[in-house]
Amino acid sequence: MQKKEAGEKMAALFGMKIGHISGQLEETGREFFCADKKLMDEDEVADLSAEFVNLIAGLLSCKDPHKRTSPQFHALEMFFSGLSQRMLMRGGNVEDVVRYAQQLQHSLISALELDSGIALTQSRSVLLYFAQVFDELIMAIFRTYLGEREKTLKAQEAELRETSTPITEIWDGVLTLPIIGTLDSSRTMLVMDALLNRIAKDHAKAVVMDLTGVKNIDSQVSHHLIQMVRAVQLMGSDAIITGIHPEIARALVSLNIDLTGVTTRASLSDGLKEAFSRMGIQVSHKAN
Amino acid sequence: MAISGIHLTCIGRGNFLLEPLRSLNIQDAGQLMQDIIALLQQGKGVQLYYDLNGLPVIDQVYYDWLDKLARICQTVNIKMICINMQPTAAFTLSSFLSRTPAFATALGVPD
Repeated sequence: MQKKEAGEKMAALFGMKIGHISGQLEETGREFFCADKKLMDEDEVADLSAEFVNLIAGLLSCKDPHKRTSPQFHALEMFFSGLSQRMLMRGGNVEDVVRYAQQLQHSLISALELDSGIALTQSRSVLLYFAQVFDELIMAIFRTYLGEREKTLKAQEAELRETSTPITEIWDGVLTLPIIGTLDSSRTMLVMDALLNRIAKDHAKAVVMDLTGVKNIDSQVSHHLIQMVRAVQLMGSDAIITGIHPEIARALVSLNIDLTGVTTRASLSDGLKEAFSRMGIQVSHKAN
Repeated sequence: MAISGIHLTCIGRGNFLLEPLRSLNIQDAGQLMQDIIALLQQGKGVQLYYDLNGLPVIDQVYYDWLDKLARICQTVNIKMICINMQPTAAFTLSSFLSRTPAFATALGVPD
């Protein structure tokens, strides 16, 4: 009952002096986002402060301001989550947003104290209430930050994967696939998926898989590699493996991998010559 | 003679194109293969192109049917070539294939 009364009292204060409080909070926003980093302009900071004041007033005037699952609290979480996202996109860092939230907490209490004339900074329950609210909001900021980081890492990983296995049509109906780096099962599966779809799309008659850039291979991956060759052959294309390092050759033999029906050549150029000869293409120097 | 579940078309020079229909029932593979071979021999068939275009997945049962049909074709000197295999089908088939299949593969019917 006491908690409810305190909530209504604070909401009433916001209702009366909302413009003034918003103005004071703007200063905090300007300090963090306008000063050196220029992450926001002054109008945006004014809108941000006004929106925050509306949301906090909504929370304090709601049925149970202590309930963390209320729509009003969720709206506040979304506000900070959106702010965090916006700042990260503009080149800011999570520390700025967290420090802004912490400073906002102090500014809010000071503004309330100034307006009401009640020594709120002396009230343990008020301080505790705002500390709990802002702790949760800072958690929301961190959750968003981590989510964004994860998204960025996944996007970078996907981009790296794509650029590390470029499938190129080097001649009409001849695809080359230079594989660079460590081959693991998930990457092999992705390469196989991309390759088979490309064969279907381009009606490729031959695929030259160059392993020059592969230094290590394990049992599972070598099986996947052979599976990839088989799948290419099943689609009606010729598969040629080139650039097998001595270590890889040794591994394939010791793993008892059956290479019957698999065409291998020493280098990518030999592989291309083989592909061309199978297609009846002859590449020669121009006669003078 | 029409065979239920397949379209068998002579595409010239002893080449035949087999297009399986949705109604193809491979449970009675024996009779089906017999009927196909009879038609191929009647048309002096040399090569049989089996169109896998509409087949997203080839499981063990379907592979056994393809393998048996290819082997029976070999016994009467007809070469079976599977064409238009889908990437997904090639992927699944390559994952359980332990030996070289009796049929050959090609991207499509040669021009």
